[in-house]
Amino acid sequence: MGDKKKWFQLDLGLNKKQPNAGTCGCGKTSGGCGSHAAEPPKTGHAISSAEFDAAVEQELTQETMVGQTRKDGFQQVFDVKMDRRSAFRKLTASLLVGAGAVHTSCSVTAGEETKEKAQLDWEEQFKGNYKLMTEEEKQATVDRLVRSYQLRKKENIKMTATDASKDVLFGYAFNISKCQGYMDCVSACVKENNQDRNSEMQYIRIHEMKDGEGFKFNEADDNYYHEVPAEGHFYMGTQCFHCDNPPCVEVCPVEATWREEDGLVVIDYDWCIGCRYCMAACPYDGRRFNWSKPEVPEEEVNKNQHYLGNRLRKKGVMEKCTFCVQRSRSGKDPACVEACPTGARIFGNLLDPDSTIRWVLENKQVFRLKEDLGTEPKFWYFMD
Amino acid sequence: MKTFGIVCSLIMLCGLFSCKHKEGEYHSLKEKIEEESKHYADPGISSEAYIGDINTIEITEGEHTFLIPERKSQIKSFACTECHSKPLEQMQNEPGEQKAHWDIKMNHANANAMNCATCHNGNDMDNLHSLTGNTIDFNQSYQLCAQCHNNQVEDWKGGAHGKNIGGWAKPRAAFTCVNCHNPHEPQIASKWPARFNTEKVKERK
Repeated sequence: MGDKKKWFQLDLGLNKKQPNAGTCGCGKTSGGCGSHAAEPPKTGHAISSAEFDAAVEQELTQETMVGQTRKDGFQQVFDVKMDRRSAFRKLTASLLVGAGAVHTSCSVTAGEETKEKAQLDWEEQFKGNYKLMTEEEKQATVDRLVRSYQLRKKENIKMTATDASKDVLFGYAFNISKCQGYMDCVSACVKENNQDRNSEMQYIRIHEMKDGEGFKFNEADDNYYHEVPAEGHFYMGTQCFHCDNPPCVEVCPVEATWREEDGLVVIDYDWCIGCRYCMAACPYDGRRFNWSKPEVPEEEVNKNQHYLGNRLRKKGVMEKCTFCVQRSRSGKDPACVEACPTGARIFGNLLDPDSTIRWVLENKQVFRLKEDLGTEPKFWYFMD
Repeated sequence: MKTFGIVCSLIMLCGLFSCKHKEGEYHSLKEKIEEESKHYADPGISSEAYIGDINTIEITEGEHTFLIPERKSQIKSFACTECHSKPLEQMQNEPGEQKAHWDIKMNHANANAMNCATCHNGNDMDNLHSLTGNTIDFNQSYQLCAQCHNNQVEDWKGGAHGKNIGGWAKPRAAFTCVNCHNPHEPQIASKWPARFNTEKVKERK
């Protein structure tokens, strides 16, 4: 990336000590990661407002970045010609972060770590849309998040940004005759995916329905507490179905959610603006919103994370099941599949003709929910 | 004639393009799966590490080859002949002897259909035997179950019944019948759900 930095470089003087050493692959060394530029610092410790003005002006008037045909999120916003006044208005929110960063950088009492935190926050604030990032940019943001967590919580996490593999399309089958309503899947999912404990968010719902009456979601109970299976009832689970033609993706005004090549529908939590259009568009109630800051006790945090998966979210963003992207992309079953004591949940690669999921699709009577909508969910139900 | 040919090809072209929806080149997910799996090449992802420390053996049943947990090493006090040194009749007849296996309750089919000797062989305790008297290894006990529960075993071989071990990728490993079902009481007991969502209750008031 280097001098092609797409945002205004805030240099808190930390870069001088780590000249592009590439030390941060593991996130364990000190210093920010990847994106530290060789660019000559535009500002010193004391950034004056005039300098800031000039820098923003420079960004605004600059033509699209050299040698780049694709526009990334930053350019999509800043290529729009506008006067300085409106540009500044647009920048206000981001400037709050900057102001904080500048404040700490000017402070005599602020330690090295505080400055580094501010630097990381700044870089995170101005990063582009994940979809449009290069491999290095993806790694850089992952490294920043890992380092940031390390600085704040004094704990190490492992975060990946593994991409979809070719010849993989994830699919899921659910055996209605087998599910007994134990809800072990729900518990495993909450733990695996670092879901907010305060609001008791859960991606999976298990619906208890009356035998012989078909799917009646209005009359079903998804929060029962009695010995299961209850007489005369059957159980079925819903979660994100990872539609192949996902309506939630269509409606997102900022392209913060999309369908990956292996069929997973994912969210960039840092690009989501929390408008909840996707929540309204989803016909399956598959999406969840963080009304408050999600909290997970430190000892319960799952530290094996994926950028698009179970990394810790913030207030005001959407989240949902990702078929445990942090597990599935490395060949592991999602947590719900692993936890299910009845074997009602089957997961696999739809493109592999020898996979168990394919056998189920070809040999059992399978059906999907609201098939007529054309959303093409990759989640099939079947019975013995 | 020439113009006719051009018009025809134009119409064909239009037809070609109008089929293409904006979401992709396929009409349905089914078609997509069928087409794209024609040129399927193994993505090179392995689930082997997730099988963990379970000892497995490979079995081949029809077109399915997969791993199942090895059983004999998991049975407490196997081999059975370590205690069953004499034929069963003689052991039962010894007066004053402590009864073994007192904790085993048979709750599997009715007494007319099944008793201990349906699966166990009094003259060869280290092996099981089929209804026709063929020897079945403890590691392959699913063959015993298959005698009656054929549908379940067929589903299990394909992957629709039972539980996968570790991951979705190759090698495929699955629990065998006795890993989930106690062969003496195969019915799985009812229990309480793992959780109850108190926030949901508040929300819905």
